[in-house]
Amino acid sequence: MTTDQRPRADELADEDSHSPQARWRALAVAVTGWQVWQHPVARMVAVVVSALLMGLVISVPLELGEQIMFSVGSFAAAILLSKTPGRLSTLAMIVLSISASSRYIYWRITDTTGFTNMLDAAFGYGLVLAELYAFSVLLIGYFQTAWPLQRRPVPMPADVSTWPSVDVFVPTYNEPLEVVRQTVFSAISMDWPADRLNVFVLDDGRREEFRAFCEELGVGYLTRDNNNHAKAGNINEALKVTTSEYVAIFDCDHIPTRSFLQVCMGWFFNDTKLAMLQTPHVFFSPDPFERNLDTFHSMPNEGELFYGIVQDGNDLWNAAFFCGSCAIIKRAPLMEVGGIAVETVTEDAHTALKLSRLGYNTAYLEVPQAAGLATESLSGHVGQRIRWARGMAQIARTDNPLFGKGLKFGQRLCYLNAMLHFFYGLPRLVFLTAPLAYLFFGAQVFQATALMITAYALPHLAHASVTNSRIQGRFRHSFWNEVYESVLAWYIMRPVLVAFINPKLGKFNVTAKGGVIKKAYFDWTIAQPYVVLLLINLLGIAVGVWKLFYSSGEVTTTLIINMVWTLYNVILLGASVAVASETRQIRGTPRVAAVLPAAIRFDTGRTLVCKVEDFSQHGLALTVPEGTVVSTGSRIFVSLFRSTEEGVFPAIVTFNGKGRLGVQFDNLSLHQQAELASLTFARADAWVDSWGAAQRDKPLRSLKSVIKIGLSGIGHLAVTAVKSLKPR
Amino acid sequence: MKIIAVASAKGGVGKTTLTANLATALQRLGMQTVLVLDLDPQNALALHFGGDPQSLAGVSRATLTGQTWSSVCARSPSGVHVLPYGLVNETDRIAYEHHLGVHPEWVTQQLQSLGLPPDAVVLIDTPPGPSVYMQQALTAAHVAVLVSLPDAASYAALALMQRLVATYCQPRANFSGALYVLNQVDGARQLSKDITRLMQDGLGARLVGVIHEDQAVREALASDQSVLDYDPHGQAADDLRQCALRLIENAGLTAVGVLQ
Repeated sequence: MTTDQRPRADELADEDSHSPQARWRALAVAVTGWQVWQHPVARMVAVVVSALLMGLVISVPLELGEQIMFSVGSFAAAILLSKTPGRLSTLAMIVLSISASSRYIYWRITDTTGFTNMLDAAFGYGLVLAELYAFSVLLIGYFQTAWPLQRRPVPMPADVSTWPSVDVFVPTYNEPLEVVRQTVFSAISMDWPADRLNVFVLDDGRREEFRAFCEELGVGYLTRDNNNHAKAGNINEALKVTTSEYVAIFDCDHIPTRSFLQVCMGWFFNDTKLAMLQTPHVFFSPDPFERNLDTFHSMPNEGELFYGIVQDGNDLWNAAFFCGSCAIIKRAPLMEVGGIAVETVTEDAHTALKLSRLGYNTAYLEVPQAAGLATESLSGHVGQRIRWARGMAQIARTDNPLFGKGLKFGQRLCYLNAMLHFFYGLPRLVFLTAPLAYLFFGAQVFQATALMITAYALPHLAHASVTNSRIQGRFRHSFWNEVYESVLAWYIMRPVLVAFINPKLGKFNVTAKGGVIKKAYFDWTIAQPYVVLLLINLLGIAVGVWKLFYSSGEVTTTLIINMVWTLYNVILLGASVAVASETRQIRGTPRVAAVLPAAIRFDTGRTLVCKVEDFSQHGLALTVPEGTVVSTGSRIFVSLFRSTEEGVFPAIVTFNGKGRLGVQFDNLSLHQQAELASLTFARADAWVDSWGAAQRDKPLRSLKSVIKIGLSGIGHLAVTAVKSLKPR
Repeated sequence: MKIIAVASAKGGVGKTTLTANLATALQRLGMQTVLVLDLDPQNALALHFGGDPQSLAGVSRATLTGQTWSSVCARSPSGVHVLPYGLVNETDRIAYEHHLGVHPEWVTQQLQSLGLPPDAVVLIDTPPGPSVYMQQALTAAHVAVLVSLPDAASYAALALMQRLVATYCQPRANFSGALYVLNQVDGARQLSKDITRLMQDGLGARLVGVIHEDQAVREALASDQSVLDYDPHGQAADDLRQCALRLIENAGLTAVGVLQ
């Protein structure tokens, strides 16, 4: 059920047992299977020898020609390894990448920082610090993702009477009932003994229509007389008046499948110390990146790296953390840590950290068993990331995972990286402006020749790129990390630094979802920082070109290297600008593509077998035989099936043509809406197929697409600027 | 040769229509020889195959006059072989039924004497409820297909059919069991849904067909066509094809070129 994260080489090896890939795999299995590895002395010797060799590789000074030879050899080995199957090859690539990067950083610090004036030193050390940050995140990232655990579901015990009771919490604050009801319908249709499944809507908005809805449907409705600590406080209040052994939490716009509990709960039987199990967050509507860049379902989105690789890697170290929704928590341990943490705005991760400190286990199951709405606009998306970033900075300050009791080394590192990750704002801005220091002010941020810099830095970047492409290929395409970071850098930099200095500053913001963007527009407010940075970088290029032709005394290679770097920054900033041009979002309720069996009954009593093409909570698109004549506006009944189950729903035809039929549901009763949910959104396999199904990464193709988007962003900006200058 | 008796405890369950359409579906799915035998004095089966309802010829008269059954066998335009009941007066009907009562294996023997190929399938339509015809059909059958409607009365009457099957079929080694078809199902009605669910849970794989209520079934008969031809994209046609497929699977029929 989970995605095959293995590289293409593994598939080739599977297909043909005589292929070079298969032979390599056999060799790797044989070598790792040697008895000698079981011997502690042999292991110790191997580690010591490797460490000495690594030290040598990192620190030996080489002349330009030698360094080039060494780099070419090392990179060729990495490319060869990338064509071979197996995790041993992945680990070997990681080692090569670490050695290239360490070698660069060692050289960078020991050989290039002999700054001769204050200007050079200020810019130079600034860049070095940013590079050190990136280097640490790279190293810890490898540690985190080298070996994803790939946990599989554990079947439930056959004796249903042993299944525990579960409270399902759906906390809401200001989201419309329209959004929340779908989640509730799915929650009540979960396949679980009815006497042990209690669904509660936790309404911090205290809205009458919510109360009436819950009462009519017969689900619990809980409110409190204050909104202290937002979602965390809301859940804690509900914990006081509920009693089930387990608590499943869904954000009000995360629709669970009916199989959620049966798929997830098995692990709790297997591991009695397990306190929390998290599943991925998947989205059936495009996030602002996907919508504005038109990459929905064709490219992995920003969140997929985390849920596809990082959490799964954390899980190996028993450091998977709670993400606020689509998870199950065992009540007893949760109460032991005082409920959901309220000290920080990322209460979810912090709660998991507290559970880990008490010695409880956490788990991550990479099976999409719920799906939700992505944030609707870039400003909403940015707001959400600001909250995460600030919360992580708060944890780093108030409950730093590096210190304190109860954690294993692996857990400390995984949590550290989760926090460190959000500090990318400032370093990213440094990288986006570093070459300008030379172009504008002539600052020498590297005390080395341009060719030496290239010979050291290029292998560092190239190794990291091909290695991460292999590890993350299904879930993050090359160069997109830079795009995502560039968009968010400016916005998360300040809150993170503020929270790190004083964790109490700032306020919680709720992410708005389920909206409509009626008219395409360019979000000038949010784009401002990138527009300014873009203009400065373009100016930098202009200055560079001018210097190239008119200024003597410049070292041409240095000038060109800085200009190429600036050009890359221009592309990244152009792409950021492209994200800010909000395209129209027509449908208030997003449609989910899915091929499902269906049938229509017309008012004549005649019927038609057809297939669902996509569904939403309000209607369907159906594939019908070409030439089917149905008049728009006519009333029909649509049957949807799930194995032997059938649901029949009254509907009105809204569109008909070319073998497609659009229908809108007609006044469904509450019972029918719940039934519709169980046959559509709550289907066990609803989200499994599209998970990790994007194209595999190819670094060069990915670079090309980033360049294209960057240029189109700049073009779009120019057109918008000219238009807004014209008198109306 | 496989003999399938189509039976029901109650009348009006659409048994004759189902028999005719299943025969056509089986033939379409690649069964080389499909024969239908009408043991219902209503003599309605031939109508589904374009036969003349006023034609006198049929197995009843043939039996009484000592003709062979093959002499009254007709081939429909769709390729299904049809043995109609035939038109008889009351005296002859009573005589025929008496004959069947005296010779409990008459139908079995007559079908055997037709010399059908080993991969042939015979569908026997019977009148509802216990009768000498059903007794004959069940005695001959390798498989019994019991047709029911999703209503309380039909559901309650199933027990009677199961007793009949137990009496006439079960002791035989070459009888492979009773299969069930639920006809005229309407997913929009709660009772229909509940009984469907009940039967699915109780019968499992032995429920080989759930045929939806579909106006096209009536219209097809009125226009002398099989539902499969009249409304190939309709739900009933689709259900019939699925049912035929599962029948092939469960009754051990041999079909050439079945893709699914």
